[in-house]
Amino acid sequence: MIPTTIERRIRWSGLLVVAGLVLQMLTLLSIHPLAFVSFLLLGCPLVAAGMLLYLYSLVSDDTP
Amino acid sequence: MNSTGLILILLIAIVAVLALLTAWRPELTRERGGKVLAFVSFCILPVLAMWAGATEHLQRSTSTQFCLSCHVMADFGKSLLVDDRSYIPARHFQNNFVPRDHACFTCHTDYTMFGDYRAKWRGVHHVLVEYFGTIPKPEDIKLYTAYNNRECLHCHAGARAYQEASSHHKSPEMLALAASNQLSCMSSNCHDIVHDVATLKDATFWSPQGNAK
Repeated sequence: MIPTTIERRIRWSGLLVVAGLVLQMLTLLSIHPLAFVSFLLLGCPLVAAGMLLYLYSLVSDDTP
Repeated sequence: MNSTGLILILLIAIVAVLALLTAWRPELTRERGGKVLAFVSFCILPVLAMWAGATEHLQRSTSTQFCLSCHVMADFGKSLLVDDRSYIPARHFQNNFVPRDHACFTCHTDYTMFGDYRAKWRGVHHVLVEYFGTIPKPEDIKLYTAYNNRECLHCHAGARAYQEASSHHKSPEMLALAASNQLSCMSSNCHDIVHDVATLKDATFWSPQGNAK
């Protein structure tokens, strides 16, 4: 079955969220300032980007 | 790693698996249940994971291990073990006047409403300097502003040993001046030996097992 535009966006948003969460998990493995900064400046923005893309895919969907 | 960290990693892994499932099969969202799954796994649970992760990281960042993990801080860590009572940080650390696990943060946070966050913001700046800037020599590292007595008095104010110490009554207004931060606790001839990392090469060190070396 061919994915629709919204489904493609949902797939991308999911991948961004997963990438962010995996990075957050990795940072929690060590107690180091670099882990803290990576969580804050890489993990959180990736998850936020995925969430925003997901929300955008909902509001931009013009199928009835 | 503590059990909280392990539980948190496990929970984030579960959220990631749910999000991956939804990303792998986006056609699930054609049904009502799939829409709910997508919303929960892309919005609700990741926000909770970020909040919990940030809380854990903030808690960890107050630990002595965290502060001393940067190489430039090694001498400051050593100064906690100097076998000399006149070194203020060493005296506090070795006698448990501050919690050893959070020794740096206990004295180097501002006891104000946003003190913790200011300390964290400065910490992010320090990390950037560590990796992208010019790292100063330990002996050249200075505080941004003069140390505020408020941080000392957070614990010492009202304590009998502090209030009644004869050295604190050399003049009648001494305690009042210290309380208003007009007279620094670290004034010359008072508590003026702090980390003093430049002198460490000549120092002897205490070990928690009880032997000076």
